[in-house]
Amino acid sequence: MDFKVVDEIIDKYKDPSGRILGILEDIQDTYNYLPKEVMVYVSKKLNVPLSSLYSVATFYSFFNLEPVGEHLISVCMGTACHVKGAPELLESLKHLLGIDVNEVTDDGKFVLTTTDRKFSLSSARCFGCCSMAPVIRIDDRIYGYVKIKDLPAILKEYGWKEK
Amino acid sequence: MGRRVKVTIDGKVFSAEEGESLLAVALRNGIDIPHLCYEECLEPYGSCRLCIVEVVEGFKKGITTSCTLGCVDGLKVLTNTPEIEKHRKVLFELYLAQAPNSEKLKKLAEKFGVYSTRFKEKNLKNDPLNGKCVMCGLCVRVCNDVLGVGAINFIGRGYRATVNVPYFEESDVCKGCKACVEVCPVDAIDYSDVGDKRVMISWSNTKVDLIKCSVCGRYFSPLPVFGSVSKKLSEYGVVCDVCPDCRKRLIAKNMTSSGGYNSYA
Repeated sequence: MDFKVVDEIIDKYKDPSGRILGILEDIQDTYNYLPKEVMVYVSKKLNVPLSSLYSVATFYSFFNLEPVGEHLISVCMGTACHVKGAPELLESLKHLLGIDVNEVTDDGKFVLTTTDRKFSLSSARCFGCCSMAPVIRIDDRIYGYVKIKDLPAILKEYGWKEK
Repeated sequence: MGRRVKVTIDGKVFSAEEGESLLAVALRNGIDIPHLCYEECLEPYGSCRLCIVEVVEGFKKGITTSCTLGCVDGLKVLTNTPEIEKHRKVLFELYLAQAPNSEKLKKLAEKFGVYSTRFKEKNLKNDPLNGKCVMCGLCVRVCNDVLGVGAINFIGRGYRATVNVPYFEESDVCKGCKACVEVCPVDAIDYSDVGDKRVMISWSNTKVDLIKCSVCGRYFSPLPVFGSVSKKLSEYGVVCDVCPDCRKRLIAKNMTSSGGYNSYA
């Protein structure tokens, strides 16, 4: 692993108080997740116990400790989206992406990744756009009023191929 | 020493230092207020809420945690009003649901008249602390703030939150001092000394070497702790590699043979 990138990230943050969150966020932007070696490296470099970093990383659901796919699909499971059929959307996405294990990892996070590491599927709480329910988010883009029949077209934008 | 003030607890007047924790004053004078997250060597934290008292005079009236209540002159509190008992009962019930397997917690609850819980008992699979932890944070604070080791911390949040070593893997920073075991108010942390190794069972079986007493050959102190302590003590000419029992014997022998206490051992 290239630790130069990590060093650059750490150097960006000068203020010792509250910089951990920023550093971890930038690392996740770079690697898509928080690799263990990088966590150990950051802990040594900042002289912060690894347990504190791990505590922060597990507290915020934003952080992934396991590698995720290139594109992260989040299905909103908030009240409005749930009523408008989000569980069915999640099931269809699982079917379309070919992941049909209904598993929850030990840390209680729900993230499923396709075998080719192209897509990761997770459920989220609320994106704050309930008026557009049901809502899914792919990377940073929000799709509202999603119907099951729209899903293949949306996935194709991200290089999904029908099997 | 700060200014001395007079505080009244349950009608009895006690002398205290200004700004001192009221819980500390009560405990010192034999008034039993239940508490889980208070420990003398740490700053009051106010997270377990069990030490609630009712302020009658001297501060904002009402119910507050006594550990975070600083003593001021004329402070009057009651520790056993019906309202406090009511709140305390709910708190105990919540704790009994959070840590259903802790015998020590059950005993504490029984002492204050709570024998069962109305809430659903927590039951997590693969919990390294076996459903005994009440998340008071004492072990985390002792390890981080007092010892500066930082081997353990909170992991996750909400219902699944727990305390453990990062990645649930054997820790290479844990010194095996078992300060966490000592401060735990509910005996949630397990360890065992097997031969020349101390195994911190709750912390993913982290293993630490123990050191032998140079006199009786008993294993008595974890090597990493011994390393840092002996460095400091050797400056004073203290013989470090003897267990507490043998040290007592050595001191006694020195005293009797030299006619006075003139050596550390």
